[in-house]
Amino acid sequence: MTALRMLLRDWRGGELGVLLAALVVAVAIVSGITAFTTRLQNSLEQESHRFLAADRVIMGSREQPAEWLAEAERLQLRTGRVLTFPSMVYAGDEDMVLASIKAASSEYPLRGELTMSADAFGTPELRTEGPPPGRVWLDSRLFALLNVAVGDKIYVGDAALEVAAALRNEPDRATGFLGYGPRVLMHIDDIPATNVVQPGSRVRYRILLAGEEPVLDDYVEWLEPQLPAGQEIIDVGRNQRGVGGALERAESFLLLAGSLGVVLAGVAIALAARRFSERHYDYVAIMKSLGTVSGKINRMYGLSLLLLGALATLIGAALGWGLQALFFTLFAEALPVQPGPAGVRPYIVGGATAVVCLLAFAWPPLSRLGGASPLKVLRRDLPNAVSRSAIDNGLGLGAVLLLMLWYSGDWALTLAVLAGLAASASLAATVAFLLLRGGRLAGMRAGSIWRLALASLQRNGSANTLQVVIFSLAIMLLLILVLVRTSLLEEWQMQLPEGTPNHFLLNIAPDEVNAVRDTLSQTADLAEPLYPMVRGRIVEVNGVALGRSDDPEEGRRERETNLTWAREIPTDNDIIAGEWWDPNTEEALVSVEEGMAESLELEVGDKVRYMIGSQPLDVTVGSIRRLDWESMRPNFFMIFPPAVLRGYPATFMTSFHLDRNEKSLLNQFIRQYPTVTVIEMDVVIEQVRGIINQVSAAIELVLVVILSAGALVLIAGVQSTVDTRLYEGAILRALGARRGLILGGVVIEFAALGFFAGLLATVAAEIAVYVLQTFALDMDYSPHPEIWLLGPVMAVLMIGALGVWNCRRVVSSPPLLVLREL
Amino acid sequence: MIRTENLRKRVPLAEGELEILKGIDIEIKARESVAIIGASGSGKSTLLGLLAGLDVASEGDVWIDGVSLAGLDEDQRALLRAEKIGFVFQSFQLLPSLTALENVMLPLELHGVANAKTLARNFLERVGLAERTDHYPNQLSGGEQQRVAIARAFAAEPAILFADEPTGNLDTATGAHVIDLLFEINREQGTTLVLVTHEQRLADRCDRRLRLHGGALVGEESGHVSRDGHSGTPHLRGV
Repeated sequence: MTALRMLLRDWRGGELGVLLAALVVAVAIVSGITAFTTRLQNSLEQESHRFLAADRVIMGSREQPAEWLAEAERLQLRTGRVLTFPSMVYAGDEDMVLASIKAASSEYPLRGELTMSADAFGTPELRTEGPPPGRVWLDSRLFALLNVAVGDKIYVGDAALEVAAALRNEPDRATGFLGYGPRVLMHIDDIPATNVVQPGSRVRYRILLAGEEPVLDDYVEWLEPQLPAGQEIIDVGRNQRGVGGALERAESFLLLAGSLGVVLAGVAIALAARRFSERHYDYVAIMKSLGTVSGKINRMYGLSLLLLGALATLIGAALGWGLQALFFTLFAEALPVQPGPAGVRPYIVGGATAVVCLLAFAWPPLSRLGGASPLKVLRRDLPNAVSRSAIDNGLGLGAVLLLMLWYSGDWALTLAVLAGLAASASLAATVAFLLLRGGRLAGMRAGSIWRLALASLQRNGSANTLQVVIFSLAIMLLLILVLVRTSLLEEWQMQLPEGTPNHFLLNIAPDEVNAVRDTLSQTADLAEPLYPMVRGRIVEVNGVALGRSDDPEEGRRERETNLTWAREIPTDNDIIAGEWWDPNTEEALVSVEEGMAESLELEVGDKVRYMIGSQPLDVTVGSIRRLDWESMRPNFFMIFPPAVLRGYPATFMTSFHLDRNEKSLLNQFIRQYPTVTVIEMDVVIEQVRGIINQVSAAIELVLVVILSAGALVLIAGVQSTVDTRLYEGAILRALGARRGLILGGVVIEFAALGFFAGLLATVAAEIAVYVLQTFALDMDYSPHPEIWLLGPVMAVLMIGALGVWNCRRVVSSPPLLVLREL
Repeated sequence: MIRTENLRKRVPLAEGELEILKGIDIEIKARESVAIIGASGSGKSTLLGLLAGLDVASEGDVWIDGVSLAGLDEDQRALLRAEKIGFVFQSFQLLPSLTALENVMLPLELHGVANAKTLARNFLERVGLAERTDHYPNQLSGGEQQRVAIARAFAAEPAILFADEPTGNLDTATGAHVIDLLFEINREQGTTLVLVTHEQRLADRCDRRLRLHGGALVGEESGHVSRDGHSGTPHLRGV
């Protein structure tokens, strides 16, 4: 009770405002960001599962044993079955097309939706299940190719099936879209009637699974040890949809921002607690003179801190929850999937942050209060207990390390940030000390206000050095965040600029190339040239045959990929080993993509054998390329000089941009070129853009919160020396100094501190941003001349204003009042 | 009640040690009022600090009610203070963030007294500040602040009250009023009073006066001296 009363009285006395605010901000930052990233990840995971039509897929070339399904059902997972195979489809006697058949159970898709329309090019509608037994949905192109309409019959093997609708899109279409032609979707129960699935048919069997993540993990753990060759479990990483890299960087940024926010809040807490304890030495001395033992004093302050921590956790967690909830409410429409709740973990993390901050930053100075000498009641000039700043700082640093590590789970990021902080702090300390000395020398020759201000700066040399260090660290962290954020946003804008290709055309026959190019140039922005495409399989490296592609053994395996040719290197590709060839070369060379080269362990100079159809092709690796998979442009693993692939059967592909309101042109195009495969990526690109906008807004929001942590550090820093300045100001006024002189002195003093801090912060931020972007965030660095002006000017304005605001009493109240209170 | 033997206090200085108190032997009986007088720097406040157990002697010992302070650590001394000792200071030493009432309640709360608020209110009434209970120290005049301090000191009903220059920060009239109050309540409660002052008028109202000079006890006189200095029978003897 005494502790609670004491807390209330201290609160009324205005002593606890900054301490509580700093704690609240720390908890809000940590719980808000954790909740936000958890929910966003959760939403993106669901989103990525849509692209698989399930959470996990077991895929193989043989039918899976019945007990696999039984076990999944026993674990109460939702299941579905899908078969895919190529087959001729007939309508009447003449019309037949090689189609890619998908036969699915009624549960398909477990995630995401099917898009269908009542006729070939009708209005698209969403469905959560495919056609019932006896019916099929056809790819729009098939209506023209087979010359059928809704209600007609088509034949798949021996089964006659009624055309019920057009299949416009499947959630899992992207997996293996280069299949065998237009899609036919039928019910799995009709398969026996077709008689096409025989031993040795090229059928892929899939079991789809959906359910709670831990249950899925249990299932996979059960299945994996008994998984035979030719069966694999597919779990979709986020990487395949073009947002992977962007999101990973966004996550790194949010974690970085959150960690820096915690550091800032920690510093503010430490400063506020130190001031609080310094102002309480007299208080404790009086209590001790009244007979309170030090153990009781420690218990009282300890309990007060606990109460404060609990209060801060409640407010901070509510604020954190509010921030992320506000955010998800504002951006609900941009989200592809509504995210589930984040659970209690973010708030536990927030509460733990409060406890750690209190123990590491606030408790050390307060714990020494118990040692205050009661003799201070007789002799106020007695020094306070010896400050153990080395131990305190060590404790604080350790706590920051642990918090950042726990919070980001990333050693490299944590150590990089801490090393950066330590280096900047020592640099700032040295330079600040020298600058303050220099300032004094300059001030000696200046007028009286300046002399007063600069003398004061130098007199409190070590305290002011500490202040400059703290100010510059805070400003540096804020500048880093602003700069990295700007670069991230710019990069994302560049990644998906207006006019990004959003449609791909595949399977363009060589004799259609000119006609397609003409049509496209009239109807759409032809963003890319038409690339030739030859299907080939890599079978040997340096004379050693590779394992079969479905061999479960680790190591190099046969790979089937699309090959293309080009005279010049594609625009956004970079050579990282070897050299690009002469445009007219006849040499048998190949340029391999970096990742592919890695998985096949290829180096420049290696001999590679391809099989194209039944013909072997021997080439030498001439170069290895890095390319941007997120660019939404046609990208190729293997590029050859034109002469090498001449004579092999090729089809062509390209990509182009089509506005949403020009979408009807696509239908015309499909009618005109029925054999060309159109991949519509516009929906995906819009989703990607939506997610990026959302994450950008999240970053802005987080930045605002971190800015408030920075402001608290500045306020706590200014307040820590306000008492001395008030006292000196009161004495000067008592001696007859004009208000203008004193106020001018205060302005100059804080502005000078701000200037030094801003300058140091700018230099340090520029270096840190270079290191972060180059080594941690994998981005390109360019210098930021704008902050060289902005940094110091902002610092002067902010710190000057804060200083004057906090010291305003020295000129606004009678000197006697100020002196009596101090 | 209070006894010292060869009480010495030395402080280390850059150029050696400075002896502030040079072997003080005194004895103060229960209910007696004693003034420690002397010029600035004579060691008055140091002696008071040692007598009250706020500081530790370099040599010698202090006994309070037969308990040797030399044998106690800081926490044990604090418990002894809690039980037996009250203070009034020159600079009042009120806590600025607490109201007058809360300042008086503080020692009662610290000792876990149940009806702290009522008791504190009664004492504030006793010192004539019933109307100012909710005021903060900076809203009170010096004399009022010292009256709050007196209320606080007596609220815990100590056996001994130490007062360090209680009128040092007050004008003559206010000081006189505060002194009257101090002695009145002291008499009512039967407290042993030890006060440090350089104000003769205040010292004269005590039963006994101990004069310090350069850290040594140089004189002792007993008997009340009336305010006009004529009546009463002071006895002065050298030490």
